[in-house]
Amino acid sequence: MSNAIIPLLLDSLASAALIFFAAVGLTLVFSVLRVLNVAHGSLYSIGGYVAASLCLFIASRQLNPYLSFAALLFSAVFVAAIFGPLIERSLVRWTYGKSEAVQILITFGLFLMLEDLQRMIFGVQSFYEDAPMRLLGTLTIGGVVYLNYQILLIGMALLVVISLRLLVNHTRLGRLITAVVTDREMAQSIGIDTNRIFILAFSLGVFLAALGGALATPTSGIAPGLGADTMVLAFAVAAIGGLGQIEGAAVASLIVGVARVLAIYLVPSLDAVAPYAAMLVVLLIRPYGLFGSMTARRI
Amino acid sequence: MRTIVAASAVLILAVLPVAAPWLQFVLTLAIAKGFAALGVAVLLRAGLISIGHAMFFAASAYGVAFLARAGINDLGLLLILSVLAAALLGAIAGLFLVRYRAIFFAMLNLAVSMVFYALCAKLYSVTGGTDGMTVPVPAVFGVVLGEPTFKSVLFYISLALMLLVGLAIQRYLNSPLGHALAAVHSNEIRLEYLGIPVWAVLLVAYVVSAALAGLGGAIAGFAIGRVVPDFAFWTASGHLVLIAVLGGIGGVPGAFIGALFLELLHSVAVTVTDAWNLIVGLTLIVVIMFLPQGFYGLFSRKEASSL
Amino acid sequence: MTFKGISIVVARCLSSFDLLCRLDRGLPQSNLRLVVDGLVGALAIGVVATTPAAAQEKPSSLGLGIFTFTSGPAAAYGMPGKNAADLMIDEINAKGGIEGVPVSATYVDEAQGAQGVIAEYRRLAGDAKNQVMIAALSSANCLALAPLAEQLEVPTVGWNCDTHQLLMDGKSKYVFRPNGNTVPEFIAYAIYLLERKPDVKTVAIINPDYAFGHDAAKIFTAALKALKPDVEIVAELYPKLGSPNYQTEISRLTTVRPDVVFSNLWGADLENFVRQATPRGLFASSQVVLALGETVLQRVPLPDGVIVGVLGDGWWMSPDAGANPETVKFGGAYKARFGEYPVFPSIKMANTLIYVKAAYKAAMQKNGGKWPTRAELADAMKGSTVATLTGTAQTRADNDGLVDQIVGVTVKTPAQQFPVIGDMVRYKGDSLMPQAGQDPLAWIATLNPEFAKSLPKPGSYK
Repeated sequence: MSNAIIPLLLDSLASAALIFFAAVGLTLVFSVLRVLNVAHGSLYSIGGYVAASLCLFIASRQLNPYLSFAALLFSAVFVAAIFGPLIERSLVRWTYGKSEAVQILITFGLFLMLEDLQRMIFGVQSFYEDAPMRLLGTLTIGGVVYLNYQILLIGMALLVVISLRLLVNHTRLGRLITAVVTDREMAQSIGIDTNRIFILAFSLGVFLAALGGALATPTSGIAPGLGADTMVLAFAVAAIGGLGQIEGAAVASLIVGVARVLAIYLVPSLDAVAPYAAMLVVLLIRPYGLFGSMTARRI
Repeated sequence: MRTIVAASAVLILAVLPVAAPWLQFVLTLAIAKGFAALGVAVLLRAGLISIGHAMFFAASAYGVAFLARAGINDLGLLLILSVLAAALLGAIAGLFLVRYRAIFFAMLNLAVSMVFYALCAKLYSVTGGTDGMTVPVPAVFGVVLGEPTFKSVLFYISLALMLLVGLAIQRYLNSPLGHALAAVHSNEIRLEYLGIPVWAVLLVAYVVSAALAGLGGAIAGFAIGRVVPDFAFWTASGHLVLIAVLGGIGGVPGAFIGALFLELLHSVAVTVTDAWNLIVGLTLIVVIMFLPQGFYGLFSRKEASSL
Repeated sequence: MTFKGISIVVARCLSSFDLLCRLDRGLPQSNLRLVVDGLVGALAIGVVATTPAAAQEKPSSLGLGIFTFTSGPAAAYGMPGKNAADLMIDEINAKGGIEGVPVSATYVDEAQGAQGVIAEYRRLAGDAKNQVMIAALSSANCLALAPLAEQLEVPTVGWNCDTHQLLMDGKSKYVFRPNGNTVPEFIAYAIYLLERKPDVKTVAIINPDYAFGHDAAKIFTAALKALKPDVEIVAELYPKLGSPNYQTEISRLTTVRPDVVFSNLWGADLENFVRQATPRGLFASSQVVLALGETVLQRVPLPDGVIVGVLGDGWWMSPDAGANPETVKFGGAYKARFGEYPVFPSIKMANTLIYVKAAYKAAMQKNGGKWPTRAELADAMKGSTVATLTGTAQTRADNDGLVDQIVGVTVKTPAQQFPVIGDMVRYKGDSLMPQAGQDPLAWIATLNPEFAKSLPKPGSYK
């Protein structure tokens, strides 16, 4: 078993990284807007679709294949710029101050609409473009061949954690966000344009979701139904970490990653149960999640 | 006047399958989902949103399949036992869950239901995995029926149950226990000061809602003839909430109006367009924004409960 | 009186709704009239419209309900089936239809899940014009629809229902399978594998998590154990159907270092698995067996030497297929229309339509040229032997099918840009099938190395 520990750890990290992007976006949006965006998973898959389409375009025109890395990033920015402000202004803003039931249902309605819009725009067939994965090659650790792309994903996840922390603690925007999170009314009364903060925070959440989807496409194909699966997994991670906690989401991704990988190694029949069982156990003991708390709202 | 409207509505439902036999299945399913949505609506009155009630729907349908496998082959007995099973599951889950409010209640329900879903999907040797289990045609009061006859019997039994259970729930909602739900929504602390144990009020509501979802699940299981883990997936739970809200949570008919509306619209829509979810999603958003009391609000004279 | 008035209004509304629904399927006006009158008539006499019992006049069109995956990850396998149906039906109609009656198909997407598929089946079966259902792709849906077919008495041909559970009770009257089932299909792989790699010791299995995956693993394992008792199964993984990511599973498979990795993943799942596993060296470190590998040959680059097959005889480039001008024509037309050559799901679908067509011919010969009822049609399918594009489909008394099994390995060919199947063997359909009513696993346990020796060898089918 001991020789399996390194691959086990790497698999957990790679698995955690994939789900982290979606989860951290969800948690960020919740902490600032206090809205649980049920359509978050759809934005993940839209990011994936746009990225795959762009990479396919690059491949079909025989452009420099390294452009596809830029395409991954660009598609996340593109999806965030289009859908972020659009959704926040048209739907989410309407739900501020309303009950959770209304917020969940409005975004559930949005989720249903986005699922069909994806079918209309991108079709129903599974598609993918694996140029970025092939370009990076492989490396062997502990006798197991890994894709360098998987390592890149782990690095990207770390980068996102660090940049978000830097953004919140060391930039003007971050301080404004913290002010809004801590006391929305007070922030408003001292002249902070909360509407702007909401749009920015929501778009950042969309960006992270779309980035997750875009980064996933080079290794895994994308097809209808992905949004629903991602949503509930991202949600489990966000809930375990504590809704609104950036580091919480990171640690929770790891927990879910380890749980899933351990299940595949030891009791493969329970691999799909692992993330939800972990969520249930954590929530029953700490309903506010590992890093969350009822009163103090941090970011 | 309202009684006449209700009576003629039920009458129309009763004759529809004679005119169009294929509608019978659609209507049976609509009534089944109506029961489950009614369960969700009961909790929504207390301001609690559950994105996990499809679990009870599925649990009861699986209950029927397991009981049938164990040799029980009577419709009445199967219905009662499976609803009891759902209620029991509701009591156990409720003991933990009614402590929580708002987003945490929604989340925990989701968590429990997804564990249930994943177990059903993964325990291939027990539940048949994603293939699900067959729900056989049972005997009705000792009479063994052919498949088409049974489906007709099932439809009319569901229709009768809709009336009976609907009236019972109406009485429950109009009792002090039912009114306490709205009080939980508006001011829980006041209720505690009045000496009413909120957790008991909510636990009763939770068990009732689980039993209703279970009744719906059992009927759906019989109608479809098969139960699959997808019955319990989170989107199915979301759809139950959606039905409840479309129909309106102000009164018992709301859930059934919502379910009938959706299922009939679905039957029309699938033949014309693939964009069914788009229509439903849009309808949901429009109803919440402009018709917070749901379709039932259109019929109801007095101010009905809304979200 | 009022009640009657209301009911008639309701019935009229419903009929016109029914009418609307059918308009887009382009049925002739006379049929619409028929539907309307039929419904009103049914109401008037208060009888539920059921299938007419007596043989009838030739209808103006023959409806087929065709069930396959047209969306989601499984569509990568389901669409070639639909494409083949489109092509075949056009060809049949160009020659005047089936016994002079033009064919029209209604496609049902299996991705909507059992509930929706059952509802659609009921709706289609409720229309007497739809005489045959071609259902379904997924074994889960096949198993869900089979009891319904018996209850509603609609001939239902499982174009891709390979699970041996389908016809196990031997009582089926209306469900047919003009294909082999999981038993011969996966025994064939065990035999072929042991012929090619006699010293295999350790095997890992990664199959989708539903009946097809579990059944195949059970049969493959049982056959291996019977033929070579010291084979050890070192890992069994069952990822959920439609999983996009197999990285952890691939690590797990690599860490146990098995001699052989066996998989019956299919559709986009298989494409994803191959794409993720190839760079990670799985195909280099183990002998991989991809039971449905032929379906992805044209889409993802498979290395040489992977054991693949077609779950039957439906390889469009097989020697038998090459000798049949119909098949060659079909392959060319398919490529011209869809940009890809047919894969075995396409062939299975095309063969199924040929099977249905042959059943109509036989039924009408038997009843003196009248248009057959559903029951007469089912009767004609029982025990039939039909020449298909790639061989023969024989239907046993228990409605199960006998077709040959082709297995081979991937090889490069200068003729095509993608790898093809080489070093092939063609096992006779009946040689790998237990007798009707026999428990398949008990029968497999009786197999022994002598049995395998009696069969043709890899490379013998040229």
